[in-house]
Amino acid sequence: MTLPATRQSVAIELDSVVKRYGDHTVLDNVSLSVREGEVVAIIGPSGAGKSTLLRCINLLERPDSGRITVAGHAVDAGSEISNKELVAHRRVAGMVFQSFNLFPHLDVLRNISLAQERVLGRSRKDADKRSKELLDRVGLADKAAQYPSRCSGGQQQRIAIARALALEPKVMLFDEPTSALDPELGLEVLAVMRELADEGMTMVVVTHEMQFARDVSDHLVVMVDGAVLEEGPPEEIFSKPGHERTRRFLRAVLER
Amino acid sequence: MGYLQAIITGIPMTLLVTVAGFTLGAIGGIPLALARRSRFAVLRIVARTVIEFLRGIPPIVWIFLIYFGIGTGAITISPLGAAIAAFGVISCAYMAEIYRGGLSAIPAGQWEASAALGMGHRDQLSKVVGPQVLRVSIPASATYAIGLLKDSSIAYTVGVQEILFNADMQAKQASDAIVPFLYAALVYVIITIPCAWAARSLDSGLRRKVAR
Ligand SMILES: Nc1ncnc2c1ncn2[C@@H]1O[C@H](COP(=O)(O)OP(=O)(O)O)[C@@H](O)[C@H]1O
Ligand SMILES: [Mg+2]
Repeated sequence: MTLPATRQSVAIELDSVVKRYGDHTVLDNVSLSVREGEVVAIIGPSGAGKSTLLRCINLLERPDSGRITVAGHAVDAGSEISNKELVAHRRVAGMVFQSFNLFPHLDVLRNISLAQERVLGRSRKDADKRSKELLDRVGLADKAAQYPSRCSGGQQQRIAIARALALEPKVMLFDEPTSALDPELGLEVLAVMRELADEGMTMVVVTHEMQFARDVSDHLVVMVDGAVLEEGPPEEIFSKPGHERTRRFLRAVLER
Repeated sequence: MGYLQAIITGIPMTLLVTVAGFTLGAIGGIPLALARRSRFAVLRIVARTVIEFLRGIPPIVWIFLIYFGIGTGAITISPLGAAIAAFGVISCAYMAEIYRGGLSAIPAGQWEASAALGMGHRDQLSKVVGPQVLRVSIPASATYAIGLLKDSSIAYTVGVQEILFNADMQAKQASDAIVPFLYAALVYVIITIPCAWAARSLDSGLRRKVAR
């Protein structure tokens, strides 16, 4: 079966997504479309709803209304969703957190293998083999037998990226992946992300790294107060922001 | 010196009551702790009530209730069985509370990361959160186990031949009744010190290996 070209090329589609915590509307009718292979950077002040947006994409949070489609799998707010569907949905959307969230009781290799065994049903041998390849890819083959606490923050985040890639996701979601890191360690993480982007991975990256947003992303989204304030080619928004609010935010970030 | 030899023969019983009671609690405490934070309110309330009930009754009363209660009915129970059962049910409640504390010490990011990887609740508990809870529960569990070792002396009241039972036997024949009890005190201290030391070194060994 061949899908229409437009549908085929869309990796993530958010359609009028609303998310409330009590009477606080955190996402106010957000629509967003990410094409296959596209790298979208999301910037905006703290509390804008950027993390909530990512968490809705992989259904860590269920939206109150709207529709979320990832790799052709659509979930409507309020609809019943089976565990099997939930797992399928999360498998295609890998997630990397600001605080790495590696499993501290498992060595690095087991960190990457665990979900392959439990979720993909791979044998331990196959999982470990794949994990070693992924560790190699993020430049940490020598860390396989270490515990996460023995690794630097930058190494931990690269391991977390390998862990997410192990499920062979169609899209990768990054929530401020370098915000907890010293600038130098952030660079090694950004280098891995840049490589991923070059290989054609679809990525949504919440970041304060303007250099990365400018150089690597194809599309820039500015979020403020739970809504998309403006979006477009990064170069354009950086050189002539369409809103005073964007201008103020960019100035604040660049002056840091 | 005859006193000490006689008292030492009580050590296996003391250890048996302690280890068996603790093991029952360490296992039974798991479902109780999970029920305590179930998403069903009824289950939470029931678990909480059970825990308060188990802890609210003094160990010696539990032993009497089980020994004379069950023991006089259709089925009979040995003094040892009654003691183990009593310390077992009490330990369930205390261990459940220790696990609950450990559970709340696990960062939300561990649940989130494993959920984002598509792991189901059961896998999250058994592969990610559970092992970490057991690990952070080691110091509190060890403190509890050492307390239990001392409390196990209550088993003497129904005739379990543990340390205190033997000391008491000796005291009844002794010219100076205090001496056997001093020996008993010494034996308890000698047992508990290495236990505390072992728990600490296990804890710090694991801490060195996996600390964040
Ligand atoms: N679980 C939650 N319960 C209540 N409020 C929340 C929760 N998570 C986030 N919020 C609120 O939603 C808003 C957006 O948060 P977040 O998505 O983390 O913003 P950002 O990532 O852009 O800093 C904030 O005001 C935050 O306090
Ligand atoms: Mg955030």
